[in-house]
Amino acid sequence: MSFRIPCPQCGERSVYEFRFGGEYSIRPQPGADEDEWYQYNFVRRNEMGSQTEWWYHRLGCRQWLRAVRETRTNKVIRAYFPDETEQTDRGPGES
Amino acid sequence: MAQASPSEGFSFLLNDKPIQAKAGDSIGAAMFRAGVRVFTRSFKHHRPRGLLCVAGNCPNCLMNVDGTPNVRVCTTPARPGMRVAPQNVFPSLEFDVLAASQKFDWLMPVGWYYKTFTRRPVWNAVEPFIRKAAGLGEAPPSIDRFSGEDPDYEQRYVHTEVAVLGGGPSGLTAALEASRQGSRVTLIDEQPQLGGHLRFTPSDAERRRVLAGQVEAAQGVEVLSRAQCFGLYEDGLLGVVQLPRDGGEESLIHVRAERVVVATGVIEAPLLFENNDLVGVMLSSGVERLIGLYGIVPGRRAVIVGDGPRAGRIASLLKDSGVDVAATVRPDQVLSVTGAAQADGVRTAGGKIPCDLVVVCGHLVPNAGLLHQAGGSLDWSDENGAFLPTRLPPHVEAAGQVKGSDLTAAVPSPPAYPDSKRCYACLCEDVTTSDLRTAIREGFDHIETLKRYTTVSMGPCQGRMCQISSIGVCARETGGGMGETGVTTSRPPNPSISLGALAGPRHPPVKRSPLHHEHEALGAVWMNMGQWKRPRYYAPEPDWSEQRIVEREYRAVRERVGVVDVGPLGKIEVRGRDSGKLLDKVYTHRFGSLKAGRVRYAVICDETGTILDDGTISRLADDHYFLTTTTGNLEFVVQWLEWWLVETGWDVHIADVTGGRSSINVAGPKAREVLAELTDIDLETAAFKYMACRRGEVAGAPAVLLRIGFVGEMGWEVHVPADYGVHVWRSVLAAGKEHGILPFGVETQRVLRLEKKHVIVGVDTDALSNPYEADIPWVTKLEKQDFIGKASLGTLQSAAANERLIGFTMLEDGKVPEDGSSVMLDGRPAGRVTSARYSFVNGTAVGLAWVSDELAEEGREIDVRVGGKPARARIQQAAFYDPEGRRLRM
Repeated sequence: MSFRIPCPQCGERSVYEFRFGGEYSIRPQPGADEDEWYQYNFVRRNEMGSQTEWWYHRLGCRQWLRAVRETRTNKVIRAYFPDETEQTDRGPGES
Repeated sequence: MAQASPSEGFSFLLNDKPIQAKAGDSIGAAMFRAGVRVFTRSFKHHRPRGLLCVAGNCPNCLMNVDGTPNVRVCTTPARPGMRVAPQNVFPSLEFDVLAASQKFDWLMPVGWYYKTFTRRPVWNAVEPFIRKAAGLGEAPPSIDRFSGEDPDYEQRYVHTEVAVLGGGPSGLTAALEASRQGSRVTLIDEQPQLGGHLRFTPSDAERRRVLAGQVEAAQGVEVLSRAQCFGLYEDGLLGVVQLPRDGGEESLIHVRAERVVVATGVIEAPLLFENNDLVGVMLSSGVERLIGLYGIVPGRRAVIVGDGPRAGRIASLLKDSGVDVAATVRPDQVLSVTGAAQADGVRTAGGKIPCDLVVVCGHLVPNAGLLHQAGGSLDWSDENGAFLPTRLPPHVEAAGQVKGSDLTAAVPSPPAYPDSKRCYACLCEDVTTSDLRTAIREGFDHIETLKRYTTVSMGPCQGRMCQISSIGVCARETGGGMGETGVTTSRPPNPSISLGALAGPRHPPVKRSPLHHEHEALGAVWMNMGQWKRPRYYAPEPDWSEQRIVEREYRAVRERVGVVDVGPLGKIEVRGRDSGKLLDKVYTHRFGSLKAGRVRYAVICDETGTILDDGTISRLADDHYFLTTTTGNLEFVVQWLEWWLVETGWDVHIADVTGGRSSINVAGPKAREVLAELTDIDLETAAFKYMACRRGEVAGAPAVLLRIGFVGEMGWEVHVPADYGVHVWRSVLAAGKEHGILPFGVETQRVLRLEKKHVIVGVDTDALSNPYEADIPWVTKLEKQDFIGKASLGTLQSAAANERLIGFTMLEDGKVPEDGSSVMLDGRPAGRVTSARYSFVNGTAVGLAWVSDELAEEGREIDVRVGGKPARARIQQAAFYDPEGRRLRM
C-alpha cells in the first residue's frame, strides 16, 4: 500500500501521513431502530470499485477529509473537506 | 583496469589469516587473488562452492563480514581491517564434516521434511541440528535499541520525475534523454561505477567513459551508486537499499517517481549438467568481471561450454590473458564435470578434457522481476528465447536487454537437461534436476506448487540463477511449452535485504516531562509509558527493595502529603459557544449543563458502547472547557473530537495543550496546608469543594487547579505553563518540607488508586468493556437526546452482562497475584486479574478482575493463581480504602 492522497489543503501526499477512518456512511438519527444501528455499526459495503472513505491527515493539516478511492487500483480519484463539497459532490455509495 | 591502482595495498582478515587487497578490490576478488577458491558450503549437501557470477546474484559467496551475515563478498568492496568468516561450516571451509551428508542424500529426498517428520517429538528432537547445519549464517547478537551499540540504519526519501533502474548503456541513455527533456532524474545503479557490462569489456571502455561522463555532467541527474531497487510499489514508490562507500550498514531510500524506466539488463544463469556446481565452474560474465575489473586470471587451462559469438569472445579474452583454452564444447556435448571438490576436467562423449577452469556461457535471462512485480506480465517469446515484459502499467517502461533487445534464442525451448542427483538447478537450496523430476511425478507439476514443494527459487538468489532452468525442467517433464508453464509470481523484496534496513534508524521518540531533570536529581527509577519516561518511584538508597520504597511513598500520601508529576496526562482545551454540545455528543455524561467551576469524570464510548477513554472535564468558563485524557489516548481523543465536529457548523476550537503545561498532583491530608502557602485561592471546602476547579496563581505562576482524587486523598491537580513547572515543583517541595512531603512515582500511584478501585482504561478495560460491566454505570446518561454509543448502551443496559469487573481481596497472607493471572473456579479458568497490588492499609493484596456475571457476587470466594497455584480471595465490590470518599471531601 503506497498510494497517495490529494489532500485539499496540503496537496498530493503519501498515504503514510494519513490515518484511515473507514468507509463513509451516514449515522442513523437518534431513535433509529436496532437494525439501522446494526447496519451502521457492523456491516461494511467493502465496495469493489470506487468507495468513499474518511481519512485524517495526521502528519499534515490535521483535518478530516473524505476521499473517493478506486479499491481495485488504490487510485484516489478525489479528496475533499466534507463541509465544502457536501451538497454538490457526493461520492458513489452515499445515500 | 580503471578501478585497480596497485600502488595502494591493504589487508583484512579471513578468519585469522590476513588477506592482501588492492584498492578497488571486492572482498571476493582479493580472496580469489590470494588463492582462496572455496567460499561457501552449500545449504543442504555442504558441497564446496566458489565464485560463479561475480555479480552479487548467486549464493556462492555469502559470508559473514564484521558480524553481518550473508554478505555477498564478490561485489562488496574490501576495506582495511574488516573481518570475514565463513558460515555454517564445521570446522572449516576446506574440510567440512557435514559434507558427509551428500553420502546420505537418499535419506533426504525432495520434501523430506514433510515425509520424515510427521511426529512432533521426532521433529522437536532433530530441529536444532537441522537449523544449525542448514541455516544461512547467524543473526547478529541480540540488539538492544537503547544501548546504542547495534548497527544503525538510515532511511531517506527522494522525490523525482524519472527513476532509471540500471547503470548500463540503456539506463545511461534513458537518463540522458530524460534529462535533455528537462526532467529531474534519479539513476539507481547496483555497481560502484556507472557503465554496467561496459565496465569489463575492454573494447567498450571508451564508450563507457563518454556515456558515464555525460550522465555525471547532465542537468538534474542524481546517481545512486551501489543501490538496488528491491520493490516497485503502487503509485511510483520504489524501495531502494544503498550501501555506503565507506562501509557500514545499508540505508533504505524511499524513491517516489512519476515515471520509472527499468533497464536492468540480463542475468547470466547456469546451464544444467552433472557437477555443474563444482568449484572452478564459472559463468562467462564472472570470468569477464574477474579479468576486466580486478585483473585476475581465474585459471591456467580452460574448457569453454557454449557456442556462437559469446564462446568466441570469451575464448579470445582468455587467450589474451594467457589462459590455455583446451576446448570449446557445445552444452549438449557435456556429460559431466569431473573432480572431487575442484573441477579437473570436462567429460564428453569423446573423452575427458583436463582443465582447472570451466567457463559456462549460460542462459541470458532478462532481469524483469521488478516489471512483473509492478503489474506487468512476462510472456514467453520463442524468437528471443526469453520471458519478456508486456502490458506494463502506464508509468513504467522497459529499456534495453530486459525487454529482449539483442536476445536471440537465449534459451532453447524447452532446454535439455540430465536427470542427475549432482546436477544442481537451484544452488541456494541444493535442489537437483532429479529432485524436480521426483516432485513433478509426485504431482507438484505446476510451477507454483513445484516451487513451494522443492523450495527451488526460494533461496537468497530469489530465482536469479534457477528460475529459467526450473521452468525448463517443468516444461519438459510435463510436456508443456515454456510459455504454458509460465513464471512464478515475483514479489518484493528481490534481491533480499536486511531487516535492519527496513526497521530503520534507532531513534525511538522519547517524551520527557518539563520536570524530568528534577526527578533525575531526586533519584527517580524510570519506566516507559508509551513514549514518555515517568518515575516509577524514587530510590532513597540503592539497596532498598521496591516494596520498601513504595511503602515509604505510600505512607507519605496517606498520612501526610505527596506530590506526583502527571505531566504525561493528555490535556486539551475546548473553546467556543458550542463546546458543551460537542462534549455532550462525544462523552457519555452531561457537560453542557456542567456549571462553570465544576469538574466531572468523563468517559468516551464508541458506537458499540465500548469504553475508549476516560479523564476529567473541567468547565473553566461558559465557553471554555479543560479536558484531561489518558496518556496513550491523547492523539486519538483529539482526532475523535475533531471527527464529530466535522459538518456540524458548530463554534468549537480544539487545542492539544499537553506539551505546553506542567502538571502535578498534590495529595494527602496536609495538601491544603502546603498549597495554601503558595496561593491566595481559598482552598477550604466551603469555597473549593471536591470536584471543583479554579484559576489563580500558585507560587506566582498562572495555574488551573482541579480538586480531584485519583489517589483517594484530598488533593489538587495543578496545571501551570511548562516554563513555570520546575519553579512550582520546587516551591511545593519546599512548602511541604515541614509536613514531610515526598514525591511519589507511578507504581505508588497505582497502589493508591487500586485501593480506591479507580479503573485505568486500557489496563482494567479492554476492547470489549462497557460501562455497565466495568461497574461504572453512572457515567452513562441515557436520557440525553443523543451521544456516541447511546443506542448500543441502551441495549446493553437491559441485556444480561457477560462479565463483570470486580474487586477482590486475597485471603492468604503474602500472596500477590501478577497482573494477568487467571481466576479459577473449581479448578477451571473463570476470569482474569487486570491489576493487583499489596495493599498497605488492608495488610493483604487487593485487585481488580473480570469474572463471569454469575460469579460476580459480593462476598463470594474465588481462587486466583499466584505463582502457578490457586490462592483464596474474596470478592468485594466496595473500595478497599475509604469507600464513602470522606477523605476526598475533608
